[in-house]
Amino acid sequence: MNCTVEEMLAAHLASTFKNGEVGFTGLATGKAASMYITSIPLAAMRLAQLTHAPDLTILFNGWCVNPDLSALTALPEAEYDNALLTLPCEAHMTSWPGPWSHHRGEISFAFCSGAQVDVQGNVNCTRIGNAERPKIALVGPIFVPEHMAEFGREYVMLPHHEVRSLVEKVDCISGVGYPRGRAGRAELGLRGGGPCAIYTPKCIFGFDAEGQIYVKSIHPGVSERELREATGFDLGDLSNAPVTPVPDKETLRILRTEVDPNGMLLGTTLEA
Amino acid sequence: MSERTSKLCSLSDLVAEIPDGSRVAIGGFAVYQKPMAAVREMIRQGKKHLTIVGTVHSMDVDMLVGAGCVDRVETSYVGLERYGLAPNFRRAVQNGAVKLVSYPEMLAWDRFRADREGWPFWPCYSLGGCESILENPDIVEYTCPVSGRKAWALPAAKPDIVLIHGYQGDRYGNVRLQAHSMLPQAMDVEMARSCGTVLVTLEELIDNEEIRKTPELTQIPSLRVKAAAVVPHGSHPLSTLLACNEDEAHMRLYAEAAKTPEGFKEYLNTYVYGTADERQYLELIGGEHLAGLEADK
Repeated sequence: MNCTVEEMLAAHLASTFKNGEVGFTGLATGKAASMYITSIPLAAMRLAQLTHAPDLTILFNGWCVNPDLSALTALPEAEYDNALLTLPCEAHMTSWPGPWSHHRGEISFAFCSGAQVDVQGNVNCTRIGNAERPKIALVGPIFVPEHMAEFGREYVMLPHHEVRSLVEKVDCISGVGYPRGRAGRAELGLRGGGPCAIYTPKCIFGFDAEGQIYVKSIHPGVSERELREATGFDLGDLSNAPVTPVPDKETLRILRTEVDPNGMLLGTTLEA
Repeated sequence: MSERTSKLCSLSDLVAEIPDGSRVAIGGFAVYQKPMAAVREMIRQGKKHLTIVGTVHSMDVDMLVGAGCVDRVETSYVGLERYGLAPNFRRAVQNGAVKLVSYPEMLAWDRFRADREGWPFWPCYSLGGCESILENPDIVEYTCPVSGRKAWALPAAKPDIVLIHGYQGDRYGNVRLQAHSMLPQAMDVEMARSCGTVLVTLEELIDNEEIRKTPELTQIPSLRVKAAAVVPHGSHPLSTLLACNEDEAHMRLYAEAAKTPEGFKEYLNTYVYGTADERQYLELIGGEHLAGLEADK
C-alpha cells in the first residue's frame, strides 16, 4: 500500500461528502480515539473542500467554522483552550443556541464513537454492565444521542477493531441506530438518518436498505479470518466483499501538501 | 445617603452559602474555567448529600464525589478529557455510592433555559429508543399537542445554587466576560440566569469605573449575583480563558493519584485538607509555577 490506513480512510470518507454539506466533528481524547474521531474526519472534510466539495462547511469542535487546518502546529487536544482562540477560521460560535440548529436538520453529517457498537448500529458510551451496578461507568452520552437521532447521517469511527467493541447487542443504547430496522427508526419518531457506516482499522461496515449491518469493504492486507476473529458478531458471507480502495497519487499529494502539510492530523510527512 | 452594598466576601463565606443537600449547578465546561477553588473549599467544609447538576463535568465532580460530598449527578459527561476517565466518579457509580442521571449534552444546557423561562420542563422530540436517557423516571413522554409528534418533557435543572468562576468583576457583583469568549463562558451566563442564588469566584477584581467602560461585556450584572469572592487562579489546575492555561503537570499528577482511593486520599490530604485556604494552596503550588501558566491576553 502506498499510504497509511489513516490516509486511506480520510480519502474514502471525503469521497462520500457532497458539496454544500455541513460536517461536524467533536473532540475525542486519547491518541487513537482523537485520530479516528477528530483528525481523520478533519482531514477528510478539508480534502473534500479542496477537491469536489468547495462549499462544504467544517464545524470544528462544533464551534469553529472552516478553520485553516494547515495552520495547526499541534494536534488539537482541547476544545476551548486559549491556543484555539487564535486558530484562523471564519466564525466562532459563542453561544448556545448558536449559528446552527440540529433540530432543523442543519447538520448533514458527523462522527462519533463508543465503547461498543452493535449490529443494529446502536452506540454505547454510557456503561458496560447494568444500570444499578455497572461493571464500567464510561464518560456518558455527551452529544451522541443528538448525533444519532437528528443529524443527516453519522459515521461511527472505531479506533480499535475488537471483539469487545463490535458486539451483537450493546449493553446500553446511548445513540440509536436501527432497532427493528429502518422502519423502526421512523416508529421511534427519529428524523435524522442514523449511522451510515462504521470505519475501523480493518474494514468499513455499511447498513443495507433494511438497516442491517454488512461488510462494505475490507482494508488491503486484512484477511477474512483476521476480520472474523476480531469481530464480536457473525459477519456472514464475505466472498463478495471488495477491498477498500486506496487513494490515487493526486489525492495523496493534496492530503500531504495542502490539507496537512505539517503532518499534524494524519502524522505523515511530505516524503512519506 | 446610604452606601451601595458590596457583595464581596471571603471564599469560605461564599461556600458557606451552599447548604447540605442542595442542588448545585457548577459552571465552566469539561476542563475549562471550572470554579475549582470553590470546589476545594466545599470539600474543606465537608459538604454532604449534594446533587450536582450541569452539562459537562470533569475534575470538579470527580473531586466532590471522591470526597463524599455528592449523592447524585445530573449531566452528560464526567471525564478528564485527555487525562482519561474520572476515577473517583467511575468508582462511585460502579459501587452505587452515587446516582448518575444522564442527559444528552445540548438538552442538559436546555434544561437551564427552561429555568430561565420559569418553565417546569423543556420539550424534546428526539429521544426515541435512547435507553441511557429514557431510564430516567423524571422524563415524561407525551404527544405534542400541536404537531401530534412523539415528544418528551425534560425536567428543568432547578438549581438551588449556581457556582461559577468569573473572569473579572467589581465589588458590587458585576461580572465581565473576556472580550473574546467561547461557549463555556456562554454556559456560565446561561446558568447565572437560571437561578436566584448565584455565587461567583472572580479571577480578578476591577473597579466599577472599569466595568462601566465596556458594559456590553457585563453579561452577569450585579442584580444576578448574590455574593462574590476574589480568587486568583480560581480554576487551577484547569484553565481560565485569557487568564491562565491548564496546569498539565498537575492534571497528570491528579489523574494518577485518583486512580486508587488511597492515592486520592493522599492528594486530598496534601492539596485540600492540608491547606487551610486558597492562599496556602497557591503557595503549595508555587508562585513561579503559577507564573508559568499565565495566558497571553
